[in-house]
Amino acid sequence: PATSNAAALGIDEEIKVAKKRQPIAKLDDARLLSAAGIPKLRRISKERLKFKGKGHEFSDMARLLNTYQLWLDDLYPRAKFADGLAIIEKLGHTKRMQMMRKEWIYENRPKPSVEDDTAV
Amino acid sequence: MSLDEWVTPTVDPEVRAFVYSIVSAIGGTSADEDGTYVLGDDALACLKDVRRWIKGFDQKQNRFDVQRCLAEANFAKGDLLEIMAKWPENSMEDPLKYKVLLACLELLGLLTWPVEVEETQMRVHHHRHLPYLHLAQAGYKRDILHHDRANVLERAVRLALPAMAVPRKEREPRDDGVIRIALYFIRNVAMISVPANAAYDGDEAEISRSATISTFHAQNVFQLLLTVASSMGDEFVEQDVILLEILFHLLKGVDVERLFMEEEARTKANTQDLRELMQKEKAMLSGYARHAPTRHNRFGTMIWVKRADERVSTVSGQTFLGKDQKIMEQMDGSKKWNKPRLRNRNVEEDERKDFDIKVHLDAPARKQLRSFVEEFLDSSFNPLFTHLRRAIEREAHRVEGVHSMQYFYLISWFLQAECARRRQIQKNAASRQASTPANSDDESFALIAGVMDQETFVLLNRFMQSSQDDKSWQDLNAGMKCFTQILLSVQEMSESSVEDDQDIAENIQNRIFYEETTHDRILYILRNYKDQGFGYLDACTELSHVFLRMLERYSKQNVDLQVRSRRRARRKKNADAQANGEANADEEHAEEAEEVADVQRTSTERKFDFARFSSKFSTQACVNTFVAFTKYYRDLSNDQLKRAHRFFYRVAFKQDLAMILYRVDILHLFNKMIKGPEGLSTEMSIFQDWQELVRQLFRKVTKKVQERPELMVEMLFSKIPNTMFYLEHGYERELQTRT
Repeated sequence: PATSNAAALGIDEEIKVAKKRQPIAKLDDARLLSAAGIPKLRRISKERLKFKGKGHEFSDMARLLNTYQLWLDDLYPRAKFADGLAIIEKLGHTKRMQMMRKEWIYENRPKPSVEDDTAV
Repeated sequence: MSLDEWVTPTVDPEVRAFVYSIVSAIGGTSADEDGTYVLGDDALACLKDVRRWIKGFDQKQNRFDVQRCLAEANFAKGDLLEIMAKWPENSMEDPLKYKVLLACLELLGLLTWPVEVEETQMRVHHHRHLPYLHLAQAGYKRDILHHDRANVLERAVRLALPAMAVPRKEREPRDDGVIRIALYFIRNVAMISVPANAAYDGDEAEISRSATISTFHAQNVFQLLLTVASSMGDEFVEQDVILLEILFHLLKGVDVERLFMEEEARTKANTQDLRELMQKEKAMLSGYARHAPTRHNRFGTMIWVKRADERVSTVSGQTFLGKDQKIMEQMDGSKKWNKPRLRNRNVEEDERKDFDIKVHLDAPARKQLRSFVEEFLDSSFNPLFTHLRRAIEREAHRVEGVHSMQYFYLISWFLQAECARRRQIQKNAASRQASTPANSDDESFALIAGVMDQETFVLLNRFMQSSQDDKSWQDLNAGMKCFTQILLSVQEMSESSVEDDQDIAENIQNRIFYEETTHDRILYILRNYKDQGFGYLDACTELSHVFLRMLERYSKQNVDLQVRSRRRARRKKNADAQANGEANADEEHAEEAEEVADVQRTSTERKFDFARFSSKFSTQACVNTFVAFTKYYRDLSNDQLKRAHRFFYRVAFKQDLAMILYRVDILHLFNKMIKGPEGLSTEMSIFQDWQELVRQLFRKVTKKVQERPELMVEMLFSKIPNTMFYLEHGYERELQTRT
């Protein structure tokens, strides 16, 4: 009876430890809103971005695009530029992101009126 | 256990034995008579037996075993075609010979019948047999088209002639059957093509479209088609859909413009094409050469890229020295991960239905096809297509789902052909200094009047609506092509020198543009593109382009254009119902619902406002569709690029909604198109226009970003409609206080 008891309890069986896979980092709204995400982009754009203006449209645009590319590479090195942009664009449709976006847009509005506070 | 027992037989051995014994009893080449074919004693009965096996075993049990055996036994070439070739032309007077020939023709028809099984019905034996049978059918087609002694197709036509000569009222069901057998046989021959995913080991040119057309021409099949089509309605009734299928499989994918070019112009166009292709290739190669390494590939340079926060990235290869942009690309391109993509479920994979695959014709085939098409337009287009329209409207028994699609595709094809021909005639007349005064008959559009009537438009509208609701995109694609072509033809008609034509065109346009549902549908289609494939994308962008352009023109000419719109009155009705109280609600609910539906359906006329309508095309969804289209920029023609250019130009500069385009992926695409690498070829005539557009847009963007730094974040996303006005102007729209 002792052996059957042990079998019922499952003492003798070896416990299999399934090794968990390292979860793959995702580009989700948490990552996008973290310090390396949009806050950093806002900082960069304020500090570093300078344009030459008329006659340099294409080089200006190249600089702008490169800024985005390097920022995205830091944020989520796994994805190629175009793929990363597609992921982020899709994230922008979530409720949370929409609220945050409105907040950023209206942040330095000259005269915040009363009824528009609902949007913030 | 021997090896034979190990291998599971593909076909039941008993079936095989039966079929082979019948086949060998039909006849064979005789040693006595110099190797000519000699019929067996009971050949006719044997032929009937084979037919019975196919019908009774294969078709009843949903198998392909007998057909497989027949293919392996070389039955078509070895027996059927030999019998067809055996007797001279005049031997058909003999009733026995006629019967044998007819039995052969029927079997050929059965063997060449398209073998298809719906995906849900596929069984193991289908997977085993279908690829083999597809290849076998390609072989049948080759043998039929290029038989060394007999004109098999002509023989088939001749077999049907006695039955066709009988007036329709006196025709027996048997006569109708004979005509049907012959026509279906021709349809099958036209339809068979080289199987897409199997290795066909013959010469593909032997069964190409050109070969088919040349043989049809040589063996008088075209004459038969013209005869049947031109007397459609009086002498022939049931045959219309078969004819439709034959025409569809002959004409799908043939480039109309090229077909109607004069030889000289075509050579010029071909040379032009070659030149453009070579230029493209040269530009591509020089693009590579510019960035090619100047030393051997183990030279081993390594570069640091300093980035913010004291970090560096490394890139290897001396290619990148002093080329910043190239380094950025390399850093991006060397990433291993790709965003997983869903398999395109929307794209139909049926190559038999696909008319977006271009077909190349050789010179003689083009000439023969062209003369056939011209004769067809002159004699048969109206009777056949009116007759077909009636059949489709009536939902006649013989009409299947695929026929509507073929019907509309062919309308678009023939309208295009007629316009191309008309232009060609005019050009010729102009070059001849109008030595002969233009014949007014040539000028009139009566040849295509059969499809330019209200009934066809109603049918087309219904077809487009239903295929859109059913999500059958290939059908919708055909519908869109047809509608585009009708618009273009009407346009050409309104520019005609004959006054009557102008009036008619005016009238037609009136009716097309009168219905608001049409406007809404085009908008809906453009907005809701998602993974339907390039052919669909091309069709829907072209349709909206053409429609908008013509509507603009028309509404300018007719300032007081009215449209019929459906008014929604649901809300008001509901409020009324609530006011009435809920006492007698229950029994009146049903009645009320009906009434509400009625009210919803009431239509009102209102003045059409083009500016308002066209602004509906400048939404994010439409822009996304056109961006998806522009992504194919390397394969697009000048016209297609122009279409996209006009659209973006209208959005950004005419309607001042460039804000929609301020998205990093769109800007990235535009930048790549102009500045490369792998950009638009600078030799293309449209390149300048695009460059200017993109330059202007970029200037706007950079200005705006400096003005409003919050755009840096917003450029990552599609804009929220409410915020667009603020982003553009920096203050809220006044109107919003209305609430």
